[in-house]
Amino acid sequence: MPTYYKWCSVKKEKQKHEYPSLEVTNHPLRVEVHNLKHNSNKSLLKSLQKWSSSFEELDPLLRFEQMDLENNSEPTIESDATVNYSKIWSVKRTAILNKYTTGEKLTIISSYLPGGEKISSFSALLRQVSNLNEKVKHRLEQLDDFDESSVRKTMGLSQQEFVTKIHMLDDEIKKAWETEQRVKAFKIAIQCSKLLSDISVMQFYPSKFVLISDVLDNFGKLVYDRLKKKSFGDAAIELEDIDSGLVPESARETCQNWMFKMASIRELLPRLYMEMSLLKCYVFISKDEIKPAIARLITMIRGIGNPLVAIYIRVYLCKVASALYGKESECYFHDNLKEFLEEYQQIFQPAMAKKFGAQLLTADKYLSLYIPAIDWLLYGTLNTIPCKLTLLDELLQLCDKTENSELLLYCIVSGFDSPNIIKKSSAILDTIKKSAEHMVLLSPILSALGEHLCHADVYRQLSSEALSQTWWKIVSNMKSTANFLQVLEPWIQFACTQLSAQHINMLLRGTIRYMIKCGKPIDDYSSQIQLVVKRMLKSIPDVEELFLMDAFMPLVELVQTSNARTMMAKTVLLVFFERCNSVQIEDHIIIASLMRLCCILHEAINAVTVEDELKISSDLINKYIQTVSYQDDAREQLNFYVECRSAFIKLDSVLKTLVHAVHALANRARPSRSRWLSRACAAYSFVTVPSLQCALCRAQLYLLGAHAALLVACVGQAEANLKAFVSLIPDIPLYVQEDGQNKPTHVKVVGLLSNFLSTLLILPDNVDSSSKAYILSGFIKTMERIHWRKTDPLYYTLLLRTLDLLCNLTQEKYIYHIDGVISNDELYGSEEEFIDVLENYATNICQELLVVLKALGDAKETNKQYNLALELFWRIIKRGDLREGSMTSLAINLWVLSQKLQDSNNKFAKTLLSALERDTSEEGRLLFDKLNET
Amino acid sequence: MTASLTISLKRVNKIYHEGEIIAGVVIVDTAADLRHEGLTLTMEGSVNLQISSKNAGIFDAFSNNIRPINLINTSIELAAAGKMPIGVTEIPFEMPLVGRQSSMSLGLLETYHGVFVNVMYTLKCSMKRSFLNKPLNASCQFFVQYKQQERPPSKPVRCEVSPATLRAGGGAGAARGTVPHFQLYAEIDSTVCALDRPITGKIRVDECSVAIKSIELQLVRVETCGSAEGYSKDATEVQNIQVCEGDVRRARPVPLHLVLPRLFTCPTTATPYFKIEFELNIAVIFEDDYLVTENFPILLLRSK
Repeated sequence: MPTYYKWCSVKKEKQKHEYPSLEVTNHPLRVEVHNLKHNSNKSLLKSLQKWSSSFEELDPLLRFEQMDLENNSEPTIESDATVNYSKIWSVKRTAILNKYTTGEKLTIISSYLPGGEKISSFSALLRQVSNLNEKVKHRLEQLDDFDESSVRKTMGLSQQEFVTKIHMLDDEIKKAWETEQRVKAFKIAIQCSKLLSDISVMQFYPSKFVLISDVLDNFGKLVYDRLKKKSFGDAAIELEDIDSGLVPESARETCQNWMFKMASIRELLPRLYMEMSLLKCYVFISKDEIKPAIARLITMIRGIGNPLVAIYIRVYLCKVASALYGKESECYFHDNLKEFLEEYQQIFQPAMAKKFGAQLLTADKYLSLYIPAIDWLLYGTLNTIPCKLTLLDELLQLCDKTENSELLLYCIVSGFDSPNIIKKSSAILDTIKKSAEHMVLLSPILSALGEHLCHADVYRQLSSEALSQTWWKIVSNMKSTANFLQVLEPWIQFACTQLSAQHINMLLRGTIRYMIKCGKPIDDYSSQIQLVVKRMLKSIPDVEELFLMDAFMPLVELVQTSNARTMMAKTVLLVFFERCNSVQIEDHIIIASLMRLCCILHEAINAVTVEDELKISSDLINKYIQTVSYQDDAREQLNFYVECRSAFIKLDSVLKTLVHAVHALANRARPSRSRWLSRACAAYSFVTVPSLQCALCRAQLYLLGAHAALLVACVGQAEANLKAFVSLIPDIPLYVQEDGQNKPTHVKVVGLLSNFLSTLLILPDNVDSSSKAYILSGFIKTMERIHWRKTDPLYYTLLLRTLDLLCNLTQEKYIYHIDGVISNDELYGSEEEFIDVLENYATNICQELLVVLKALGDAKETNKQYNLALELFWRIIKRGDLREGSMTSLAINLWVLSQKLQDSNNKFAKTLLSALERDTSEEGRLLFDKLNET
Repeated sequence: MTASLTISLKRVNKIYHEGEIIAGVVIVDTAADLRHEGLTLTMEGSVNLQISSKNAGIFDAFSNNIRPINLINTSIELAAAGKMPIGVTEIPFEMPLVGRQSSMSLGLLETYHGVFVNVMYTLKCSMKRSFLNKPLNASCQFFVQYKQQERPPSKPVRCEVSPATLRAGGGAGAARGTVPHFQLYAEIDSTVCALDRPITGKIRVDECSVAIKSIELQLVRVETCGSAEGYSKDATEVQNIQVCEGDVRRARPVPLHLVLPRLFTCPTTATPYFKIEFELNIAVIFEDDYLVTENFPILLLRSK
């Protein structure tokens, strides 16, 4: 193989566009921003979100939350038709377990758990049989010690331990049941229900109730299933289908035995609980007994003096009844609710107050223990009542009449549906106003009411204003700032949807005044203020209006610590851009406000800021920059960009956006403006780019700058950009950090450099410089300077591309131009000297490629070598002058090499050959024949 | 070589009325052929009386146990001496339930388990075997109930309890001299009660100056044993159930609901040798363990 081949490019005489072209009105790559921003295209947006969401790995906690939300939404859909109580109960059940937790130590008393200290079960007995003498007593106590079922008390359990113990008892019941120790199972169940009379750790009581009610349910199911099996074998028979008359004597007898056992339980609470858990089983005696039994139980619960214990047993009764009768059971909810209302004042007994006081519970915490229970009773009741409004009226009157009506009021407000509550809202507010000073549940009531009002239909009328004024009177006297903000949140939404901007502004001013007056550090409440602001932004019909209120920005900037301020700014910007309908923001006040927020965001960035944070901040600022528009005032717009550059210097991505924006500005203004703008813009970008961190980005922007400069025929500027670009090439890293991973850059680099080479075709040469093809030669020198690995595909691909460019540069007329720029074809007119320089470069590159070929062969990279050989071969037959002997022989050598590596059946080789075959020129024919000979 | 003997009654609940026929099978389960000297079935019914230790001194003449009073004692032979085949053999039987026909006889009394009086009925089956082997025995209790009478007219009883109505020196608290102010109202729907129906009523706390700890309903049996010369009378608790726990809301009627336990109750009975009577106590226990009780004698009947 000869070591030197001189490259000669062929001059194509007949240069004509052979590609089909058609006229279009739109740029095919233009992004359709408008569509995305419009509300009408919600579905599109949604589908986009859906797509994007599947790519993002969802935080597992968030996923649970979403699942919960999905679960929660289900019952509300169903509530119109038949209500599935067991499903709703399971939702409520989870809610209770999550809400009522404790860090206090718990106590469990049971004889079926290991450990714990013994307590004598005789104390109760001794009182009854008082005529036992001391000796007998002592002996009995000793006997008791030996008895395995002696009662043990385990104290100091944590909540988790307690839960585990309860589950253990549940398992114990099942185990005992399976081993035919049914009485033992029964005893464990009784002991479980006894635990419910203990209110020593009140804030855990609702959860305890839930846990134990599950145990009782399981026990009831065991009994029921066994009786069913005894009666009907394994036949799958539903409760409704059981005919008491068909139950065999033995099953009936067993059932009766259970009932007798249950009826003889000494203590009231376990007896009631056990009867409820066995309620289903009455069906084996007589179906008609169940309903009277429920009615009896409802009244028997009156015997429970402790209001907390009493209401939860009512909850259990309703739960059992609803499982039995479904829709029919709703009357029992109502009956129980009525009973509860009769006993309502028990809750406020001084004795209870003493008890919860001793447990360091606050009054509102104490009252909140009742809420899930009342909710449940009210829920079932509401489903029976045909006219909810009358019931609401009745209950409200009751609230008016009774003392301490707040708990009831809260449950009414949260339990009823919005339309009815809205109808009665002023009455409710009046009731609240009357006793606002002593209410401990004031803020939950008000915020619940506010939430209802948020659902009101849009109507601007006097009543809303009156309502809001009354509300403000109550609220502005509230002592606790946290509560104030909690209430403010829904009401501000109400105000935003219903009231005028002036009104909202007044409320905001009032809020600021309140916050300042309260004398507590405002930063403690920053998250709450944030929620309020977020609520406002989300609910106000026109977001921009909010920025026009003079009290809005002061409220946003009420918080002082940098962290809180950043969070606030971020929230506001996020929601604002989410809601903002218009593509452009033109109002100066809004622009200034947003600028302020963006600056806050920017200020918070420092060396330790995490990448995600940076990304979010820069995305927000980018959005801001993109939306701000000064319409036709390009000078203002440019000034704005200058200002932004100085304000957001820390964020690369923002600078990038700015450069793009400036180019866009220059481009937009081109036809009508004088050249100063394009120059200013070009200068802007040239000055801005060096401050970027990433070399790759810088290179891209330089190239873009060059393009933009060429478009406005600023050749000097373009050249400067390209020169900077070339000098940057060695600095481009092999890898860049992207989403926390190192990603190789070479694909990007190939694209970028190819783009650059294509640009060079247009760029006129610098006539002042001594060398021809000034930039290109600079580039080639740079390429030589970099120590590439010869076998790197990046390297030889670039060499091939450069070869392509060199061939094209030798043409008399280039294949593309830009209007107003005189390219080298016209500049030199295929001058001999210029062509020589180019051919010289081409020869060198060709030489280098042959070296690469050899290196590939040495490295045993056969596939790559084969491809490269063919690529080069292709360039020779396409672009080389085949009349030159050196070219032909090189082509033949390459072909031979390729055939040696792989046979000619390869698709690529075949295509090349067939193309050559079609070549009509004499030289082509000659070469083709020669190739066939070999 | 094992063999077992069991009695199985046809009626699952084992409750029979006088004049009815007790039907069932004796099941012999043997692993090998079983030679025997005869299989007999005996029906026994008796009243066992016991004098309480408290009163024992008065009756020095007797021992604690008085001789049981026999109510019924009949026996039949189920199989003559012979051989039982290997496996399970069921021998059906039928016996009429008829009491002794004598002037002293009490007739058939209801089954009752008390402290000092017990009325029990058993079927005993015994298989005699050759003298090297012990006889095989099996027994089975059954229950006798009176036939149901017509329901008597209900006799409601009402009472009000207040410090004024208390018998002087009745409670422990009276000694302390600090009787809290209270006003209770109690009502029993009927003092004549059918055994298989719950006793119902209501109680209401109209006023009470101290907190109430518990309100309980106590069923008490009063058993009297003896004869004309002397007797012992003891009241013991059958069942005690709580109707109110904790300080209940004032002026609200709380229902009383007491299911009479089986076996431990029977119709109120009076015979020359013993008496079984029942009483109901309503006990109100205040926070300081001060106890107020109200007593209602009741008549239990086997009626519809």
